[in-house]
Amino acid sequence: MAEKQVTIEVSDGAAIPRTGDRGLVSAWRLSFLIALALFLYLIVFRQEPYLRLLKLLPDGIIVTLEVTCASIGLSVVIGLFTGLGRLSRNRLVNLVASTYVEVVRGIPLLVQLFYLYYALARFVLLPDMAAAVIGMSVCYGAYMGEVFRAGIQSIDRGQTEAAMSLGLNRMQTMFSVILPQAWRTILPPVGNESIALLKDTSLVSILAVSDLLRRGREFAAESFLYFETYTLIAIVYLLITLILSKLVSLMEERLGQYERP
Amino acid sequence: MYRAISLMVLAMSLLTGNAWAKTIVFATDATWPPMEFVDENRRVVGFAVDYMEAAGREAGFTPVFKVVAWDGIFAGLAADKYDAICSSVSITEERRKAMDFSIPYFEVRQALVVNRDSSADGLEDLKGKRVGAQIATTGYFAVRKVDGIEPRSYDEIGLAIEDLYNGRIDGVVCDDPVAAQYALRNKKYRDSLKIGTIIESGDVEYYGIAIKKGDTETLNLVNEGIKAVKAKGLDKEILNKWIGR
Repeated sequence: MAEKQVTIEVSDGAAIPRTGDRGLVSAWRLSFLIALALFLYLIVFRQEPYLRLLKLLPDGIIVTLEVTCASIGLSVVIGLFTGLGRLSRNRLVNLVASTYVEVVRGIPLLVQLFYLYYALARFVLLPDMAAAVIGMSVCYGAYMGEVFRAGIQSIDRGQTEAAMSLGLNRMQTMFSVILPQAWRTILPPVGNESIALLKDTSLVSILAVSDLLRRGREFAAESFLYFETYTLIAIVYLLITLILSKLVSLMEERLGQYERP
Repeated sequence: MYRAISLMVLAMSLLTGNAWAKTIVFATDATWPPMEFVDENRRVVGFAVDYMEAAGREAGFTPVFKVVAWDGIFAGLAADKYDAICSSVSITEERRKAMDFSIPYFEVRQALVVNRDSSADGLEDLKGKRVGAQIATTGYFAVRKVDGIEPRSYDEIGLAIEDLYNGRIDGVVCDDPVAAQYALRNKKYRDSLKIGTIIESGDVEYYGIAIKKGDTETLNLVNEGIKAVKAKGLDKEILNKWIGR
């Protein structure tokens, strides 16, 4: 049975032709090597203006990573509760969770960010970082919610029935029987959403948050070196997302040790 | 038959006015009132628009305005997306290296806009605070020059003014006619904002029309137009209409 099982390992391009294929050439290694080689070439051999730009980037990279990490953490929590809410038998809880998903999925993230920062300023003045993190988390919480819902639903009903017949209540069943199993299914898409979230943090630069993209835009608009600036910015983003995607696939592998027969 | 065609040509040239005049496409980031902005009828209007239309009538070109975001406006010129930029571009040495400039058509200084109850007289008083400006404008360069101020770059000056009004930042630096538009004339802002100071450390700046390096045909036409507008005193009328000093 084991070889027939479909494993979703979207976050690592290596898994597409054959699962478990860990040859020397994988899509991840290829892209990482190319990105790294280009990066080093530009910084070490070309230097001007890449080195000058690179010196401006560390603050921006830190801001981008801060927004990313805080938003991933918060959106996973929101996603878990949304997913549970979507499966709840309580009509009210179910309605609230489902409406949240519908509304948030229907508004572009850019508009949500503008809304939080400029429109809501009439009622509550969110600091820029708070607006960025809340905006990203509320948006991705809805996506994560659907991932959690699907993951939980993928676990056989028999598991619930067995747990209940052993005398566990609904809460215990969910948190000590269903979720630990569902986590394996949930992790790859959560990893993908996290990578997408990281890339979408570039949108927060419209809130005058000095993230990686805004640092680059400031440099480009002053120096008129558009090609050089955005080449380096793209490479830096790629390197960061590739590292993140590697982390996700390492976590998948660890969870894969408990693969069901 | 021959007569019919020549009549048609004559009629067409009468209808279209100076049909043979060269069309010059100007890129403008129309978010900079009163110099160039989009009015409630969604037309690009303002001091610079009237100025270039007058220059076009004098020198024989038809200006067409294309709205482009400030952030990429110079990249578009280099990539031949339009012939020139008419968007309150201050002539600076760095910009001169990348593009050609017409003769100046307007003179500005940088102004600091603050909240009405602020006691700041200049940028020096705002050390340790956050001051906003539009990305890659001379106003932003002025903010960044002062040590100890946290500079914040916005995509549009209007967003920086709104953030100042909301209290997230303590000052905004921009060209003085724009500062006056927001702090003295704008209905929403004039009761809560004021012009703190005209920044003395900065030199006088001149707006010029940016033109792709080497495009002398466009450059000469625009220069000819600006010269004629100044010689006839048309610029005074336009100034009265939009700025009213």
